[in-house]
Amino acid sequence: MNRFKLLLCRHNSCSLTARIWRPALFSLLFCLACSPLVTEFAEVEEAVLYTAARSQNHPAVDTLTVMTWNIRFGAGRQIPWFGDSCGDRVILTENEVLAALQAIAEQINLFQPDILLIQEIDIKSKRTAYIDEVQWLLDHTSLSYGAYASMWEAQYVPSDGLGRINTGSAILSRWPLHHAERIQLPLRGDQDALTKYFYLRRNILKAKIEIPGHADLWLLNIHADAFSTDDTKHKHIIRFKDELDKLAAAGAAFIAGGDFNMLPPGSDSTDFCDEDRCPDEHFHGPGDNPFHKEGSCYTPERDWLNDIYATYLCSVPLDEYQANPSRYFTHATDRHAAWDRKIDYLFSNKPWLAEGSQTHQQLINLSDHVPVSARWVVPR
Amino acid sequence: MKTPPPFRLHVAQLTLLAVLIFAADAALLAAGPAKDPWFSSANGSARILTRGRWTAGIFQPLRHGISDRIELSAHPLLFPLLPNFSLKWSHAPSGPWLIASRHIFYDPTPLLRLLRRKGTGGIVSPEFEIPNMGAWTSELLVTRPLGSTHLVTLKAGITLCLFRSSALDSRTTIDLPLVFPRLQPFYQGYSWRSGIEGMGRLYRRWLYLVDGDLFFTPGGDENWALEHKGMLLWDKSGKVQLGAGYKLTWGEYPFGTQWHLLGPLIDLQWGWGGR
Repeated sequence: MNRFKLLLCRHNSCSLTARIWRPALFSLLFCLACSPLVTEFAEVEEAVLYTAARSQNHPAVDTLTVMTWNIRFGAGRQIPWFGDSCGDRVILTENEVLAALQAIAEQINLFQPDILLIQEIDIKSKRTAYIDEVQWLLDHTSLSYGAYASMWEAQYVPSDGLGRINTGSAILSRWPLHHAERIQLPLRGDQDALTKYFYLRRNILKAKIEIPGHADLWLLNIHADAFSTDDTKHKHIIRFKDELDKLAAAGAAFIAGGDFNMLPPGSDSTDFCDEDRCPDEHFHGPGDNPFHKEGSCYTPERDWLNDIYATYLCSVPLDEYQANPSRYFTHATDRHAAWDRKIDYLFSNKPWLAEGSQTHQQLINLSDHVPVSARWVVPR
Repeated sequence: MKTPPPFRLHVAQLTLLAVLIFAADAALLAAGPAKDPWFSSANGSARILTRGRWTAGIFQPLRHGISDRIELSAHPLLFPLLPNFSLKWSHAPSGPWLIASRHIFYDPTPLLRLLRRKGTGGIVSPEFEIPNMGAWTSELLVTRPLGSTHLVTLKAGITLCLFRSSALDSRTTIDLPLVFPRLQPFYQGYSWRSGIEGMGRLYRRWLYLVDGDLFFTPGGDENWALEHKGMLLWDKSGKVQLGAGYKLTWGEYPFGTQWHLLGPLIDLQWGWGGR
């Protein structure tokens, strides 16, 4: 994701040619298109609803299997994509994307989650052969209903050949979803206006699920900011918790989760600059600017999840995590390395089934994140 | 992806043209030819510049009438990045119909290689190689004056990929209006193009220009694109013409069918020399 910042020429690295051509290109694109190049969203707007080609009716259940998974837009883990793994790949082939989606669908069908919270899923992006991955997964798994909220929708991203993009988060479910909303999160506060215009628009995806016999159950999916160097991430988690508090105060039950891009409180290691650096990068040395790699130093934010842990129930209780952190790691940026941090979570205001939680670390090649699943007792 | 039947659209275009011609014919045919140097040499028509006349515009090509039957043109601003030239050749008229053929060569290689880059301005991913490529377009232009103040032109042609030094990865497409259909011959080998154009005088120095073009590329998943342009032109004199308008596009892209309204289009043309 660091390469998104290359949308603009920064520092002193612009050649004369770049100084002339880049503004000219932007001007041309702005002049040509009457419709905006980048979609901006209202504070709250309706999410996009999906139904599988062959949807099934599912009976009421006593427990739900819930899973959250950042699927890296169907790129698998081993493709060295330029934006997140020091690679040089930009546009994947249709076969690469379909193979990755097929592998993901096989695992979904194996674990049989009733509810799946997905982050980084593309619906109409050049980088993933314009495959609508939400529809594809619905059509190739036992999940029947979906809701989608975009975090980055642009007719054309004139950088690195990315082109058209529409990527975001989704909730997939066996039961119909209603009142699906996309709730806008604050934009990064550490970017200039033009970079911010082309950058990601993080959000919370919220939907009500219609399980027979349970009238007031809500699902929330967040993909919080990854690279901000100010308090943007903190604002995201505060906004997320506000939404949970409102539901709890109204007497509703909720299952909330996603990719928080934050470590659990009490993590013994909070600086991953060395683990995440590309071969030509150097950090923590005298004169290194920036001193930390963007998005890799979690030290200032080590307490930002305290409040949500204190108020709600995590599928992996904090004491269990702190007793054996590596067992619950969900992510690594180095595609050859072992999982080295936990940034994916499931929370609820109702109890999780004891011993029902899993961090699927054996899935080493399907994404740069592993899914986290848990079983949840349906309140009556 | 649903494809509206392009041939039906084309038939609709031609029907509209026929109605336009025959309805106006009786009222306007008696009048003589226009004397205005801009009107009498409209770029999209079968008319050519008079010998020795030059015209140039910001977005229009540099044109030169080298004889009473041949006109050469090229886009000078684009030339370093998109080498191109065009020859328009006037043939013997058939009754009220003026007939010309236009032959165009263009080489997008330098432009695509410039746009293939990391970072800002990277329209094509740097992971792909851009081969040496060139295309040739030949089209027939048939123009009929409607009285002294209107011209209607029918055009049809084919664009062939003339050479390509190696395969061009299908992921290098630039999925933008205007660009996507014009680069299709390099992926599919050839494409057809047809269209109509109407031009005429509205009042004194004010002229209009409307056109519609259909690009049809057999064999690909994205077959067709329609473009329509409307311009209001003001002849300041025989030497300067100003224009403003819009362009509407509708076509198939790898992500589906979409329309775009592009504009405002602003152009300024100069003309000099000639009889």
